[in-house]
Amino acid sequence: MRQMVKQMGFVFNVDLCFGCMACEIACRNENQTDSTVRWRKVSRLTDDTFLSVSCNHCNSPECFRVCPENAFTKRGDGIVQINSDLCTGCGLCIEACPYGAPQYDPVTQKASKCQMCYPRQDRGLPPACVESCSTEALTFVDLNTFCDKKIVGSIPGFPDTRLTNPSIAFYPATERKRYFLK
Amino acid sequence: MEIYRHACPRNCFSTCGMLSYIEDGKLVKVSGDAKHGYNQGRLCAKGYAYTQYVYNPYRLKHPIRQTPRGSGNWKRITWEEAYDCIADKILELNERYGSNLASGYNKFSGNIGLLHYAVEGMFNSIGPHTKPVGNPCLITGEQAMRKSFGQMNRMMPEKMAEMNAIVIWGANPAVTNVHQMKFILQARQKGAKLIVIDPIFTRTAATADIFIQINPGTDRWLALGVAKLLIESNMYDEEFVRNQTVNWEEFHQYVTEQVDLHEVCRETGISLDVLCELLSIYSMPKPCATWIGFGIQRNENGGQNISAINTLAMLGCQSGQENRCVYYSHSGIDDFPVNLLNHEGPVHPIVQHSREIDINNFAENASKLVEPPLKFLWIALRNPLSQDQDFQAWESLMKELELIVTVDLFMTKTAEMSDLVLPAASHFEEMDVNVSYWHHWLSINEKAISPYYEAKSDLQIARELMEKLNERFPGFSNFPSEREPIDWIREELTPSVKKLYSIESIDDLLESPRLRGEEGKNLSSSAFKFRLFSEENTDTSTYSMNREKTDVEESYPFQLLTPQSLLKIHSQYEAMPWLNQGAEQAVVELSEYAAEKRGILEGDKVELFNPNGKIAAIARISRFLPQKVILVNQAGKNPINRLIAHKPQENPGKSSMNFYDSSVNIRKWCETNG
Ligand code: SF4
Ligand code: SF4
Ligand code: SF4
Repeated sequence: MRQMVKQMGFVFNVDLCFGCMACEIACRNENQTDSTVRWRKVSRLTDDTFLSVSCNHCNSPECFRVCPENAFTKRGDGIVQINSDLCTGCGLCIEACPYGAPQYDPVTQKASKCQMCYPRQDRGLPPACVESCSTEALTFVDLNTFCDKKIVGSIPGFPDTRLTNPSIAFYPATERKRYFLK
Repeated sequence: MEIYRHACPRNCFSTCGMLSYIEDGKLVKVSGDAKHGYNQGRLCAKGYAYTQYVYNPYRLKHPIRQTPRGSGNWKRITWEEAYDCIADKILELNERYGSNLASGYNKFSGNIGLLHYAVEGMFNSIGPHTKPVGNPCLITGEQAMRKSFGQMNRMMPEKMAEMNAIVIWGANPAVTNVHQMKFILQARQKGAKLIVIDPIFTRTAATADIFIQINPGTDRWLALGVAKLLIESNMYDEEFVRNQTVNWEEFHQYVTEQVDLHEVCRETGISLDVLCELLSIYSMPKPCATWIGFGIQRNENGGQNISAINTLAMLGCQSGQENRCVYYSHSGIDDFPVNLLNHEGPVHPIVQHSREIDINNFAENASKLVEPPLKFLWIALRNPLSQDQDFQAWESLMKELELIVTVDLFMTKTAEMSDLVLPAASHFEEMDVNVSYWHHWLSINEKAISPYYEAKSDLQIARELMEKLNERFPGFSNFPSEREPIDWIREELTPSVKKLYSIESIDDLLESPRLRGEEGKNLSSSAFKFRLFSEENTDTSTYSMNREKTDVEESYPFQLLTPQSLLKIHSQYEAMPWLNQGAEQAVVELSEYAAEKRGILEGDKVELFNPNGKIAAIARISRFLPQKVILVNQAGKNPINRLIAHKPQENPGKSSMNFYDSSVNIRKWCETNG
């Protein structure tokens, strides 16, 4: 795939996420998606950490590769878009994505997914999920220019990234002390 | 697209500033109000689901009546018919008993906007009646705070971001006060330590640098143990105790003679090493915040727990008292006249006062009333048949009542047992003004859309119903029905409120929420006197470390805790599909120990029971629960509060509900026990 001018991506700071789900519901508030459709998902990663994940707008998107209708495109800023006019709802992308990003929408009978709030980004606004995260655990940057030594490409519990090269980076969790009752 | 300014009115610490986006008279989206300094443009998950709350297929659209009560045989009626039916009953009872004491209400915190005191205002306006007093939630702790400090603390919660350590005792902001987490985590990013002390490994505990698990209800021992270490190692602030405490000698003697560290470790389940770790936090000559959660005071030693924690927090203030702050709650409402609540009704020639019943034992006490008995009950902003205790008492009270009216947005458990149900407006459909019991911001709530079908606000209902009564019986109520919501709000903004919040008029609030000015700087710190923990603070008689085991404890060995869940507040938000993806089934969490004792496996159907009743649930086994604790979330189809019932409290109206003192037993479900 050609090098993008930009590659917008999410940065997730494990230490700052406490699993409040504001991001997940803010996404629904913004996009008014059906209640079975989860473009963003918050889950427990380990006993004391959480993960909030959506479409990762990968460098080598599997959805893009497998879609027989060529419904996917990758914009110049790296956002992977799905064109619902072309989608027939075959579900191949849903099976192919390692992160469970494309979702089957029972109302439209098509696949849909996070489009990184490009209409908002085009107006200079951050994605709705990023805006809603009160601790800034979830932020977004241009990964082509972003650099920070503390950043890692994956964290334990996150799906294998080798296949698609997702546009997400992490700040890992710091160590914590626990004194449980005996 | 039009945009309006709101305040989220839920019984939640955050009372967020909110914006609504309206297209063709319809709410299409919400967002946080960026001008609100506490929530800073964000909402919580529940807040972001408000479009589903407003346009919910389960929302009540019209007044309805069911005959007979509880049959589910509902018929739509007009507001006129509803008002007639209620007015008939009030007037008939007045004639039968010569006063309005047979009429009463039960209301609490379903919407904490100031204009929702319309319910109180409406009843006040008909003269003496029957009313609840007290507060099931946080009052024990408030009294303990006042006893320690002489007043409520006025520290802004935003200041937590500047602390070097934050010690949270039994609060779970990651679930109940999400916007506070950013201030806590900001402090942590700058190197502060976050310590959480809780019997439950909560989401907040998961985020903490140090989590200390403690036996439930034993917080005072931990606090006193660490205080003893502070004193023994001479790390307390001598000048402070000399000049600014009132009972140092007594406390010192008590700690020396009565607090035994081995016993502390045994009672709390915490080792001496961990006590020392807390000692190093509390003796640090740097700003340290202590936050006491409401759960700490929902047991019989609640006041003591708080007094002991306050003492520990203040004793260690080596570098001055400014470095120590204890957070509990903020009584922002005290600045306001709250005219609806305090509305003065007409005088009755014989009956001088309204009849007051402790809200914590409302049903039981109300059923005992005679001359006259309680015959008409108005329930608003509350769902007692899910959230109160002692359902049996409620059931027998309801048998005695001739008319039950519930005002709500949804068909709650309580509405199901009412004769008349009136549809309430959401906060997007009415005007209001809000303060928080945590942060110091004042916000206006605008009316953005017209009410859903025939829904009305509590104030609107009061205005119309009282007018109706007066048509039938001139002068029956002195409620100023002509007054519009905005008039009531203007009257709340007294000159002193305007000064405190630096506003000139309501228009300033339409521009932006306002922060309360910090006062009290003139109060010289030497005038401040602190009361250290003392044994006479004892709330009840059972103040002994080695309590004898009672029979009840033998047959119901598990302690039931019922915390808030992330996507609900008490029983509110139950009907929202975005927030309820999981199974409908109630889930109980039990320890590995309990599971082994009772032969219960993960996912088994189990039965939780005690003399008050039983509920069925699915078992989830937790590695992190204390052995004898059982955890169930509030509300649901078969509310857990069925198992909670308490003896009447000794000082009615002055203590919180001891929700967390309930004992239960658990066993595998077997069809024959049902
Ligand atoms: S996360 Fe999944 S859906 Fe999104 S670009 Fe990668 S492969 Fe496609
Ligand atoms: S970027 Fe927008 S669409 Fe994607 S998860 Fe966030 S809110 Fe949803
Ligand atoms: S809003 Fe932020 S803190 Fe909350 S779950 Fe999402 S990423 Fe985590």
